[in-house]
Amino acid sequence: MRLGVDVGGTFTDLLLQDDTSGKTYRAKTPSTPEDQSIGVATGIKLICDKAGISPADISVVLHGTTVATNAVLEGKGARVGLLVTEGFEYTLHLAKSWTPGPLFGWIVMEKPEPLASLQDTRGIPQRMDARGNIVRELDVEKSKALIEDLCNSGIEALTISLIHSYANDAHERTLRDLVHACNPDIQVSLSSEILPEFREYDRAITTVMNDYVRPIMTRYLSRIEERLAAEGVTAKLHIVRSDGGLMSASAAADRPVHTVLSGPAGGVTATAMTARRTGLKKLLAFDMGGTSTDVSVIIDGETMISRSTEIGSFPAKVPTLDVRSVGAGGGSIAELAELTKSLRVGPRSAGAMPGPVAYGRGGTEPTVSDANVVLGYLPSKLLGGEMELNVKDARKAVADIGSEIDLSPEDAAEGILQIANEVMLGALRVITVQRGLDPRDFGIVAFGGAGPLHANAMAQLLGCYPVVVPSNPGVLSALGFLEAEFKNEFVRTLIRSGSGIDEAQIWQSFATLSDSALAWLVEQDVQEADRGISYAVDLRYEQQGFEVSIKVPANLIENKAGLEAVLDDFHETHEQLYGVRFDLPIELVALRAVATGATPPVITALPEGGTTDIGLATMEVGKAYFGGDWHDTPHIDRDKLATGARIEGPAIIRQYDTTTVLLPDHHAIVDDQSNMLIWPNAKGE
Amino acid sequence: MTIKIDPITLDLIENALLNARFEMDSVVVRVALSPVIREQHDEFPMICNERGQMVVGQFGSYIPGIVEQYGDDIHEGDIFVWNDPYACKGSISHNNDWCVMMPIFHKGTHVGFSSIFGHMVDVGGTVPGSMPADARTIWEEGLRIPPVKIYAKGQVNQGVLDIMLNNTRTPDMNRADLMALIAGCRTAAKRVNEICDRFGRDTYMAACDMLLDRTREAMKVLIDKYISNEPVSFTDYVDDDGLGNGPFKMHLSIYRRGDKAVFDWTGTDDQAEGPINFHIHEGLCKLFFGVYMIMAFDPKIMFNEGFYDLFEIILPEGSLLNPKFPAALSNRLNTHTRFFDCQAGALGQKAPHLSMAAGYGTSPHFIFTGHDKNGKYFQLMELLFGGVPGRPLGDGFDGHAWWPLFSATPIEYIENYYPVLVESYRPVKDAGGAGLHRGGAGIEKVYRLLEAGTISIHDDRETVPPWGINGGLHGGTSSKWLQKAGSDTPERIKSKLDNLPVEPGDKVIFITAGSGGWGDPLDRDTKKVRKDVLADLVSIERAKTDYGVVITTDNKVDAAATDALRAQMKSDRGEIEPFDFGFIPGVHEAAE
Repeated sequence: MRLGVDVGGTFTDLLLQDDTSGKTYRAKTPSTPEDQSIGVATGIKLICDKAGISPADISVVLHGTTVATNAVLEGKGARVGLLVTEGFEYTLHLAKSWTPGPLFGWIVMEKPEPLASLQDTRGIPQRMDARGNIVRELDVEKSKALIEDLCNSGIEALTISLIHSYANDAHERTLRDLVHACNPDIQVSLSSEILPEFREYDRAITTVMNDYVRPIMTRYLSRIEERLAAEGVTAKLHIVRSDGGLMSASAAADRPVHTVLSGPAGGVTATAMTARRTGLKKLLAFDMGGTSTDVSVIIDGETMISRSTEIGSFPAKVPTLDVRSVGAGGGSIAELAELTKSLRVGPRSAGAMPGPVAYGRGGTEPTVSDANVVLGYLPSKLLGGEMELNVKDARKAVADIGSEIDLSPEDAAEGILQIANEVMLGALRVITVQRGLDPRDFGIVAFGGAGPLHANAMAQLLGCYPVVVPSNPGVLSALGFLEAEFKNEFVRTLIRSGSGIDEAQIWQSFATLSDSALAWLVEQDVQEADRGISYAVDLRYEQQGFEVSIKVPANLIENKAGLEAVLDDFHETHEQLYGVRFDLPIELVALRAVATGATPPVITALPEGGTTDIGLATMEVGKAYFGGDWHDTPHIDRDKLATGARIEGPAIIRQYDTTTVLLPDHHAIVDDQSNMLIWPNAKGE
Repeated sequence: MTIKIDPITLDLIENALLNARFEMDSVVVRVALSPVIREQHDEFPMICNERGQMVVGQFGSYIPGIVEQYGDDIHEGDIFVWNDPYACKGSISHNNDWCVMMPIFHKGTHVGFSSIFGHMVDVGGTVPGSMPADARTIWEEGLRIPPVKIYAKGQVNQGVLDIMLNNTRTPDMNRADLMALIAGCRTAAKRVNEICDRFGRDTYMAACDMLLDRTREAMKVLIDKYISNEPVSFTDYVDDDGLGNGPFKMHLSIYRRGDKAVFDWTGTDDQAEGPINFHIHEGLCKLFFGVYMIMAFDPKIMFNEGFYDLFEIILPEGSLLNPKFPAALSNRLNTHTRFFDCQAGALGQKAPHLSMAAGYGTSPHFIFTGHDKNGKYFQLMELLFGGVPGRPLGDGFDGHAWWPLFSATPIEYIENYYPVLVESYRPVKDAGGAGLHRGGAGIEKVYRLLEAGTISIHDDRETVPPWGINGGLHGGTSSKWLQKAGSDTPERIKSKLDNLPVEPGDKVIFITAGSGGWGDPLDRDTKKVRKDVLADLVSIERAKTDYGVVITTDNKVDAAATDALRAQMKSDRGEIEPFDFGFIPGVHEAAE
């Protein structure tokens, strides 16, 4: 019995998989932002009741959490002390000196306080050079005094981030010993461990972010472990990493910065799973929620990894699933710019409270959801009939905007959806065409509360078919967790120009990384048969600013030979990505080893019953507005559809956790895994 | 216009164009080699309509001049390149900026242009970096390329490329950076084609016009509101021209004549002997005024050149802003930035609550060249930053980029590639002008040089400090120091100099200017003043003299003493002056 738990902003979703019967159970319970573990405990009780099992029957708990993300976004992290090389105390304060565009962009720039304040920063007398040679010895006595002063100032965690520590971590380690000698209980992170890569600001901010969320994460994890124990759960708790991998709860307590994108990771992993199941090799994950939309690319069933992300205005250089986020979701507010009267949608959102006008909770500004209501896409009753929508007020709010720009309420509503779609299209374009990928080679998987409402329109714009609407789009993330694998990355920065590359040293460094990776797998109790280690090297043309990661086959490392082929691969990849290759020396920047521990695949039993007769599945026929006209449009109950059912557009397909819009000139087919696949009729079917 | 476009389609096209413009950036930055473009983002893309008007972008308006020269001889697959400011009416303003432009065709019909210019590390001339501080003519400032085709109907013009690369000290970098600019332009062309396919070409072209009109209408409202018939004037100064002349006066008057806003630079000093002349294109002038008005008064307006006919520009011939050939131009950034300072000062008088103080006032450069132990040539060029001014929204920023999207090169990057060791990097204490919203401080960067070679430095605001506004005080000035190996005492060196020989172990102390404060410092929250004191950004003395805040030796605010002192200072001071300059020639001494 594997349990996936996804804590979102509004709801906590749970999915329980019985590996013997192949049955899955789902549960949804309101999230408890003040302490997420309360909602998790409630959900576990609920789902165990539903499945009729005892909590002790659960074999493993896989948990995606937004605790770390929220702490950074809301500025509610811990007070972090920071030790840096003397002379560089202002690294976080200066923050790379960046200001936004266009010209005079700084006039409206908002900049939050650094995650570690200047008052809690101390400059340590020491210095390394870029090759890791000691330029100035560490002054231990002075350091002791500085550390004592800092440790007694009320800080809750401490970061050590010295210049060039990626090349030589000796001083960072000594300082950690000094800190622990002074205060054995304080949590300390070393930049040489969290991010052993060059670029001092990125390394420092990432490590500080780790400590900023660490006390909160540690407390949260111990609370949730207590609650699980209290409910009778004896299974191990694993946390989902930002790159879709799993880590033990204790590893998460040490490196919580690796969970900053834990939330969206599940949906992406589940999309990869969908790709493997359906045989659709290239898929776009399209996760549209209330305030934002996350998109990412799956190729050959594999997710894409990015090495940096942004949490609010802070960069975090940690491996994450390459997810693009844009501020457009169901709750995004539509408004007119004051002087030009141009229509804008988002990034302001009505959120869960007050929510869209149609929810009747006090919202007055029209949102994307309201536009969906006006056009008849969202039925007047939501969530299996629990919530009645106020169609009249939604229409009035949209009509008010329309009248200012001479549009009918329907055309204004269509406009709002089109603008929202365009914003999301920008994000999809960044992850496809901008990287040399043709979206027409992809299908698109729709999930999140609003994904299936918009996915058909997105597919029409981008030409990416089929649209895949999984059977549980609302709890897809939790499902993704069940198939996540254990994962950790080991890095060595080694900036060397191509002409000066010492091949023996590279193979030696890879061997060391491989040892660390193996040791970690053993530590995480991963069985030998499930272990995997893959290797990559980050390369670029001499002095370029960005690296391209190239895979290194394991046999090269075993044979300690064959670098030439890797370099050729780099030239080719660069040309493919950016359209040019240069006749310049290649520079090696970092070596990476990724350790993985496989988990058994989720095998779901096929649903029973259902019908292929659409008439029988039709709940009612309503009016919906498409292409400038109202059409009689059937509302179909998704749960009544059997494999092979074919629906002709236009249609509205309703289910407990979402609503799918099927556009005119399209049809949908239910496949043998309960996915609904939408195709354009022109495709000849 | 016969085609009717609904407002939604218009917004869709606007969004699609904006996406394309940001994609240009990301392509350029990823492909480019030089840190100036790649890490510091000194590159400026735009997309224009078929008449060459900028529809999206940052700096616009230079295309028509080129089109005029080529007439009918512009074809699909052509790509133009140029860098000579005198050959393109100042569309770019020094030889280091290489500008690439390509016409965009959709199914054989000309629908627009894409263009980017970027700063090349070196384009030849008398000194590495190609910006000799003592140049008297443009002949000393490197290769001048008039608008020529680097690609003609898709075929590369190898001869032109070879000549360009044969005249730089950094051919590999320039080649890659040029290819990056071209790749960016091609990306835009591709996207524009997709937009034409999706919405129809006629719709696209009409939409471009409408986007221009929409911004024009918005600008009309701003002009009505903020520019009156009564002229407002402002004067600011550039320190010197690198040859010992100066300070140079810049004087701007703004007034309304009918529907038009007139920006009149009469009263600005004659062109300089040294290279600080700013040969500015009239269109660019309009654009700069427009951007400032949009950002200060309503940042939601899309920024394009639709409003050009609402502005009239007067640039006296032979002046600093309209120099005669072959005046030297390479270090025009001081003048360029002072142009913005004058603009902020003049526009601010009608809407003080919306206006900004002055910033560090140029783009400080540090260049270090030589040969390393292996005889390999190195050329470090770094842009530095300073104080970003106090603003209506809040404090300015210490050691941040006044220029958009620039960022500092990581010290670990520099030390990996160049024989320098940075000993410290911090904001300068007391350099941010006091104010209700404090101005940002300049930075102090201490380089220890590990090889023999020569250094070049360009900076300004060494004698004329950045002014404060609405009661805010002026900020700190810049200075440069050289501490020879083995010596304890740094010696002051000039802020504009070239090829100064240095030895291993020498230290360069590079201090940039801060910025002016905004609003009355006597009203600043005492907690904020204390915080700045604790962060070593404001001294206890200046907390008292500038802010009237008394901080005790154990770092507490003495509330009673502070109240009394502030009351006293307010009554002694009387009415607040709109500006605090700290220096006016003949009135004040030059700052030390």
